[in-house]
Amino acid sequence: MDPAGSAHVECGRCGASMQLPSTARTAVCPYCAAPAIVERPRSAASVDPAFTMGFVFEASRASELVHRWARAQGFFREPGVRLAKVEDLRGVYLPAYLYSAVARSRYSALIGEDYTETETYTTTDAQGKTETRTRTVTRTEHRPLHGEHAAYVADVLVTASRALGNAELEAVEPFDLRAIRRYDPSLVVGWIAEDPSMTAAECYELARREAVEKVGASLHGFMPGDSHRDLVHQTWLEQESLDLVLVPVWVLALRYREDRGLLRVLVNGQTGRVAGAVPWSRLRIALAVAAALLAVAAVVAAVILLEPA
Amino acid sequence: MATACGRCQGALDPEDLRCALCGLAVPEGEGSARAPDAARAEIVRCVTCGAAMAYDARVQAPACAFCGSVTRSERIDDPMEQASHALAFTVGPERAREVLRAWLSGRGIFAPADLATNATVDHLRPLWWPAWIFSALADVWWTADSDHGAHRSAWAPQNGRAAMRFEHLLVSASRGLSYEECARLAPGYDLQRAAPAEGLLSATPAGGVVERFDVQRSAARRRILDALTSMAGAEVGSRYVPGSRVRNVRVSLLLQSLTTRRFALPAYVLAYRYEGRLYRAVVHGQDERMVLGESPTSVWRVLGVVAAVLLAVVLIAWILSLASG
Repeated sequence: MDPAGSAHVECGRCGASMQLPSTARTAVCPYCAAPAIVERPRSAASVDPAFTMGFVFEASRASELVHRWARAQGFFREPGVRLAKVEDLRGVYLPAYLYSAVARSRYSALIGEDYTETETYTTTDAQGKTETRTRTVTRTEHRPLHGEHAAYVADVLVTASRALGNAELEAVEPFDLRAIRRYDPSLVVGWIAEDPSMTAAECYELARREAVEKVGASLHGFMPGDSHRDLVHQTWLEQESLDLVLVPVWVLALRYREDRGLLRVLVNGQTGRVAGAVPWSRLRIALAVAAALLAVAAVVAAVILLEPA
Repeated sequence: MATACGRCQGALDPEDLRCALCGLAVPEGEGSARAPDAARAEIVRCVTCGAAMAYDARVQAPACAFCGSVTRSERIDDPMEQASHALAFTVGPERAREVLRAWLSGRGIFAPADLATNATVDHLRPLWWPAWIFSALADVWWTADSDHGAHRSAWAPQNGRAAMRFEHLLVSASRGLSYEECARLAPGYDLQRAAPAEGLLSATPAGGVVERFDVQRSAARRRILDALTSMAGAEVGSRYVPGSRVRNVRVSLLLQSLTTRRFALPAYVLAYRYEGRLYRAVVHGQDERMVLGESPTSVWRVLGVVAAVLLAVVLIAWILSLASG
């Protein structure tokens, strides 16, 4: 087997030889249509999934969700998307890593504590007389705060596939981790399932970044006072764990214009959340800008013309 | 199968695949299957007709396209909660009635004089109400505002760290009893004498009800964690933050060795009728001194007391005016 390219696999039912990508975990025999699991000799690089989450709806539902999503696209997006045809639709068990750790942080911030003051000010009344009045104003006193924080960071999910980036996966997250099951080949058979094409080290980096972002967000909620600013933190991640999990994703290819490439749209196989990067419609944006300019010009012209000489 | 999490030492349930607290994966009990010597496509066969099977999204399990049979698959690991321990009633139903009558006769000055004699017990139902009892160690990091060290503003930010131990704390899962009722009943139970729930609850007394945990395990854990967080916050606010006035207490917890037991706790729910109206009362199943409930108020008695007080005030004023005159 060539780890970078493809592998020859023999069908367990009819004995036919299949050529499969080296990351494929499942196969369907082109001769006898038998769905199968690809079992490989264990190597240092190969990792068995620890968990999987099953698809909970079928292809027709995924297609329906995407059509509804496409129809709801804004005015400035490519108009063809609303009527786009689904050229390809596949249910894929995407390899991803589930990361958890203990996050210890040191933070510092300026905490705003409000107080009220009565101040006097002078103003002129309707008769033009100057008078002195008082009013209550809210001011903020900023006090420095330095301290420590610790928490478990669980449920960080990052992609392990080069074919589908982390930003794309994040767009259809979250997955319902309560429905997680221990990986069993029978749960993915008949579907496309891949081995990770990214290394664990690369995934650790992605996961750590996401974990630190999560800690940063929770620190904002942790600050006392009426407001705060200049919050900075340094986070150490300890007792890390990384488990390979296969997550269910419907991958659709939409044809929205004949002269353009296909648009990839993902649907969360559990929750039905849809995401895809729909291009902006340059024509519509240009027309809108032109119309706005025209309107401004019309208003300016009207003002100039109507202004008494 | 591991029984405690390798990272936070929290107790694991047999169905757990990951620690609910810190997210660490539970190692698989048995050794994983032997790896094959060469790449080979394995077929998952239907046990009924022998056809190759594929995972089916409709039934969320591998299904056979030919004969429609579905293989037994791991169930989704979020079962309904069930009591594992229960306490026996040590107060009998007759005693509960007597206790209620004694309670009715001691309802104070505003209760009708004939309440104890004229109230009739409409029904008495032995009830086992569900609760989680948990213990944990917590390393707590906190922030808050207090008046300690305040300058221009009345508040100054504070922070710190505290180690806490939570032992045998009770969180109610009952919908039939109110939160306050459960909180008042809780201290009266002798948890040391808990017995396995199955044996005890199968011998339910006549008319008895075992209230079920109407919640799935994941939601239950969320509630337990929320309860722990709010308890830690209350503890920080009352014991750790310097100063006399405190606000905005925020806590972050690293829990260790969390254990949760699911209990069924005994109590009698009684309804009694007085002058045509129904009133509800709860008698503790183990501590007869604990009776909670509502009781009627006599309007005449309230008016009588008000009149007596007014009369006393007038009398005192009159005596004072005589003395000064």
